[in-house]
Amino acid sequence: MYHLIHLAMNLNLSKLTIAAFRRKTLLYGIFMFLLLLASQSLWAQSAAEGKKLYQTCKTCHTIGGGRLVGPDLKGVTERREEDWLIKFINNSQEMIQAGDPTAVELFNDYNQVPMPPNNFSDDEVRSILKYIEVVGEGGSVEEATAEKETQPQAEAEEPTAEKTTAEQAKDEIDKEITQRMLERSRNYSPVFWISLLLIFLSIFDLVITRLIKARFVHVVIILIGVIIVTEITVREAIALGRQEGYSPDQPIWFSHQVHVQQNKIDCKYCHHIAEDSKYAGIPSPDLCMNCHNVIREGSRTGKEEIAKIHDAIENNEPIKWIKVHNLPDHVFFSHAQHVNVGQVECQECHGPVEEMHRIEQVKDLSMGWCINCHRKAEVVNFESNAFYEAYVKLHEELKAGDIQKVTVEDIGGNDCQKCHY
Amino acid sequence: MKKNRNDHQMSKDKIKLPKHYREPEFSVDGLSDEEKAGKSSRRDFLKMLGFTVGYATLASSCEMPVRKAIPFLNKPEQMTPGEANFYASTFFDGNDYCSLLVKTREGRPIKIEGNRLSSVTKGGTTARVQASVLNLYDTSRLQHPLKNGEKTAWEEIDKKVPTQLNDLASEGKEITLLTSSLISPSTRQLIIDFKDKYPSANWVKYDPVSASAILEANRISFGTAVVPAYQFENADLIVGFNADFLGTWLSTVEYIKGYAKRRNLIDEKTMSRHHQFESMMSLTGSNADERYPIRPSEEQNLLLNLYNEIAEATGADIHPASPAKQNISGIAKELLNHKGKSLIVCGTNDTNNQLIVNAINYLLGNYGKTIDLNTPLYTRQAIDKEMDELVKRMNNGQVGALLVYQANPAYDYYDAEKFAEGTKKVGLTVSFADYHDETAQHATYVCPDSNYLESWNDAEPKAGHYSLGQPTIPKLFDTRQMQDSLLKWMDREEEYFSYIRKYWEKELFPRQEKHLVFESFWNKSLHDGVFEIKTETGEQPEFNASPLKAKNPQENGIELLLYESVAMGSGKFSNNPWLQELPDPLTKITWDNYLSVSPSYARKHKLKNEDLVRMNGKIELPVFIQPGIPENVMAIALGYGRQNAGKVGNGVGKNLYAFVEKENGTRRYHLDEVEIEKTGGTYPLASSQAYYEQEGRDIVRETTFDKWKKKPNSGNEIHEKIEKLHVTLYDKAEFPNFHWGLAINLNSCIGCSACEIACQAENNVAVIGKEEVRKRRIMHWIRIDSYYSEDEENPQVYHQPVMCQQCDNAPCENVCPVAATPHSNEGLNMMAYNRCIGTRYCMNNCPYRVRRFNWFEYVNNKKFPYNMESELGQMVLNPDVTVRSRGVVEKCTFCSQRIQHKKLAAKKEGRQLKEGDIKMACQEACPADAIVFGNLNNKDSEVYKAFKNPRNYHLLEQLHTLPSVGYLTRVRNKETKT
Repeated sequence: MYHLIHLAMNLNLSKLTIAAFRRKTLLYGIFMFLLLLASQSLWAQSAAEGKKLYQTCKTCHTIGGGRLVGPDLKGVTERREEDWLIKFINNSQEMIQAGDPTAVELFNDYNQVPMPPNNFSDDEVRSILKYIEVVGEGGSVEEATAEKETQPQAEAEEPTAEKTTAEQAKDEIDKEITQRMLERSRNYSPVFWISLLLIFLSIFDLVITRLIKARFVHVVIILIGVIIVTEITVREAIALGRQEGYSPDQPIWFSHQVHVQQNKIDCKYCHHIAEDSKYAGIPSPDLCMNCHNVIREGSRTGKEEIAKIHDAIENNEPIKWIKVHNLPDHVFFSHAQHVNVGQVECQECHGPVEEMHRIEQVKDLSMGWCINCHRKAEVVNFESNAFYEAYVKLHEELKAGDIQKVTVEDIGGNDCQKCHY
Repeated sequence: MKKNRNDHQMSKDKIKLPKHYREPEFSVDGLSDEEKAGKSSRRDFLKMLGFTVGYATLASSCEMPVRKAIPFLNKPEQMTPGEANFYASTFFDGNDYCSLLVKTREGRPIKIEGNRLSSVTKGGTTARVQASVLNLYDTSRLQHPLKNGEKTAWEEIDKKVPTQLNDLASEGKEITLLTSSLISPSTRQLIIDFKDKYPSANWVKYDPVSASAILEANRISFGTAVVPAYQFENADLIVGFNADFLGTWLSTVEYIKGYAKRRNLIDEKTMSRHHQFESMMSLTGSNADERYPIRPSEEQNLLLNLYNEIAEATGADIHPASPAKQNISGIAKELLNHKGKSLIVCGTNDTNNQLIVNAINYLLGNYGKTIDLNTPLYTRQAIDKEMDELVKRMNNGQVGALLVYQANPAYDYYDAEKFAEGTKKVGLTVSFADYHDETAQHATYVCPDSNYLESWNDAEPKAGHYSLGQPTIPKLFDTRQMQDSLLKWMDREEEYFSYIRKYWEKELFPRQEKHLVFESFWNKSLHDGVFEIKTETGEQPEFNASPLKAKNPQENGIELLLYESVAMGSGKFSNNPWLQELPDPLTKITWDNYLSVSPSYARKHKLKNEDLVRMNGKIELPVFIQPGIPENVMAIALGYGRQNAGKVGNGVGKNLYAFVEKENGTRRYHLDEVEIEKTGGTYPLASSQAYYEQEGRDIVRETTFDKWKKKPNSGNEIHEKIEKLHVTLYDKAEFPNFHWGLAINLNSCIGCSACEIACQAENNVAVIGKEEVRKRRIMHWIRIDSYYSEDEENPQVYHQPVMCQQCDNAPCENVCPVAATPHSNEGLNMMAYNRCIGTRYCMNNCPYRVRRFNWFEYVNNKKFPYNMESELGQMVLNPDVTVRSRGVVEKCTFCSQRIQHKKLAAKKEGRQLKEGDIKMACQEACPADAIVFGNLNNKDSEVYKAFKNPRNYHLLEQLHTLPSVGYLTRVRNKETKT
């Protein structure tokens, strides 16, 4: 039952996302189509396209606003040749390496911060340059185009529309997770209290009222009652301190689904520390900036959430994430051992993270769960990794066919002091 | 003497230790009568019941706390959270030098390791060096500058002090920089620059326990006032006179390395021979092959007699001396047989003694062979006279300004009162102390120095041997290192870091040829921590004979010897709880100093351990009966009784510096006559060991060098027999993959206790305080047992480190009712804290007594106000080791975290574990290289070889516990008595 609901919710969710996505692409599609239709030589329209494309540039450049990460672009078309600009904008590093003197000088002047390569067509670059010219001369695209209706309006409206979508999506997920939590927390308390009551009643009847003459009825009720009460107590006690389904609200509304499923970013691009350290390592904001230096607007959450990364770096204030997967202090778990050496997929312990908008603990992370895996899991590269040459006896047994595979347990993975020291 | 032995006759050799030498195994201090009888009342039961129910309810109603995960804002490239970084650095506190590697985790230094690239310390450390990391996180450190004891700002000081200094300089009034010996060449240069800026500046060096006499004697004998390099590794015969060169004297790590190298009997088949004449039982004396207890006043006469015997044989001048009380012609003969291969050292701060020693060493041709005057040691530079003159000038009002760095004369100068008075007559007193110590109390301005782990520095401990110190953590408090303060006051707009770089570029870079660019030279030196210029022993300075004289030994009266203890040294680290709780290597007493008296004196005067006596009518001291001291000699450690050390060190023990005397311009650390009277009171002492006898059992197996040469398993014959007796009905335990083992060479181990602190730092071992130690609850995972044998006048002493023996047939394992301590398939006896319910059955069943019980919660507990109580102090904890909570048993784990870490590293690289990959914390800290660890299944491993060594045996092996720890017999190079 629970799984069904889970699935349904997931489907529902993905439908929602897909709908939003489709609507957006449609809008863009229409816009691009209109653009294509319009004559390329049209100066004004070209500038309007340039304005859109310029969004990428404005992270590091201004037009007449002075130096930022990169140079002020006012009058750039007068300073440089168009061909040079097209080449430079699309791949500045290539030119620097080729030793173009202007490029090298620029690179050095701006603290050797490379400009990320772009994939614009020559006409697209020209339209950006036109836009820069218009703005540089003190004009605005709106004035130049003199036609304000379709595109700029849509652009102005989109963020607000998106914001509501984002909030909606947020609420949806909140609701979904709460629902799932409710589902998961098996509420035994009525059963517990009823059993307890029955036990007392039968004892009461047995000793005082004696309504039921057949004593075995009492005994049976008491016995069953005690079994139920004990079972519930033990279950609850074991579950104490476990956080299956834990999914706290994070300081930044970060979605693994967007990053992993949609943008196909590998887990270990951001969590690269997992290969070397016991920690998986929450990426530091400077790593986020590799992409978010340019991408300043999210498809679901708008600008607000991404701005938090920039704020953190500007204000020198670290982001305080809420830790979801907690192990007790006396457990030493190494990501490097599991991810690097054991080649365990992240999802095996963390669940379908790529589907999660908000990270959630899927497995109970109990010792029994660890041990069960250690019993079954085969040691990776047992025969090729030179480290395992020390396990002479197991190699012999493997060769003789006495054992089919070497499990983690076989090499002592279930000894207490492998994880508790 | 009436024998106080118990009636059971277990042992064959009669041990004549008095009965009061033994104490009950478990202390019953502070228990009610009922509890002593082992009863608990009904009320106790109800109390416990109520508590249990309440606690269970509370625990079950608790919600999980919200934990935060905070990543770096900008992750430094070389830093991986969860993995340690090591930085080379340098330790020097005015006494000891050590080149080291600082282990940092997430930017916090948590452990000190020795730097194997240094040819001075060669990777060795001492207990104090190991403990120094804790000082960084001391809440008692000064956290901001002070003016007249009130908080002030650096700007204020930087405004006022230079103006005053300028005024004084223009008046021509003396500005004195009072420091300990300084070995930093850049700082030396900086002080020269400071003198240029303020021409009336004057630099006075002061060491609380000085080597002034050695400097003076070498100035007379060789025209150069230096402490020479003593090369114990080149000496076949060592004769020591009150020089505790393995414990506290000069450059101990270097000496231990050299000494142990010649005595391990593994690499080489030869062994040096060591005679020690001493007035107390020192660590060095306890390791000597032959030890001769002497009165302090006897030493000079003995030395001169020894000189005369040698002079007679070599035809040199003979100086008149009264006949010696001991027959030393045997030693003289031996020395003559070892010309150029012997070494005589003397620790007494008396120029006459040192002159005689110089003459003997000269006659024996040891200069250039075992003593090198051309690569002197710079860690002791102070001339005692200079300090006395300074105090005189201060009291005459001649000193305009006094700047004190790394010195604390208001505590450790023998006339501290006069010094304190003098400070009042000095216009401007500035202290650079990192604590608000005794001297800083008298200072107008206190400009707290940063900890050495927060500072840049360099050092030249020995001529031509340079090392660098670098900060491993940003400054924790508003402190500033002394050199930066001086630079500021010299109107120099640079930091000491760039000053050091410039100095190295100018002075050291031209002295090498390997690097063509300074940047690469600097980076290499910083990476390695050391830069060494090849030094040749070369031609030694010419010897000038001088008249030698000796006073007659004193016949009567009680003589007192003042010494530095291995843990506390001169008392600079008093606020370090690890060191305060480090048992003294010989008496095992913690948290106190005490008057060591000889057993015969104690018997005569009916003194027991812990009895209080009054000395010279001034000071009350507890008595400890120490075998091996001459009857009318007493000894007590300096370095205790601090008043302003910080919350841990204040008022621990008594300050004896006031008893130091002055003679012929040098300070004298022994008194000719003291008066002792019994007060009738007692004072509790906390010792970690209650019993010092072996009862005739072969706990430490020993032999002599001669016997060993003939039969390598001599003294250990029984091992073979016992090995054959290991029969069992059970299946033999097998460890097919790894079988971890550890071997301790008892001939290398000198008992210096560095391993204890290293283990404490590595494994988050709690400090529990004096009261708890007294209840025998000390938590150390590795302890060093000391046993005394033979006669109480001059016993043999054995040091034996004992940690969990990781028995393959462990008695502790099968008594645990909850299986909290099972055996791993790698031969480790594991301990799962969270399974432990604290029955302590395992402790009772462990024949080695290595398991420790957490009687209390030692973390965040105000009753244990040591490092684990404060958040700052907790920063030193190793994040790879669980901090144990109340009610669980703990013990040595063979540094499991290190095994796991190195195994993972090998797996990641796809290679086999290499020999020496995994090092135990104790092993890494050991300056004597006495410990080896490795895989017993690997036939090439050092530990396997050690286990196959005929000297190898196991502790209480007849019990069939099958330990994974082996001991190699103690071999003494004694003359075989016929």
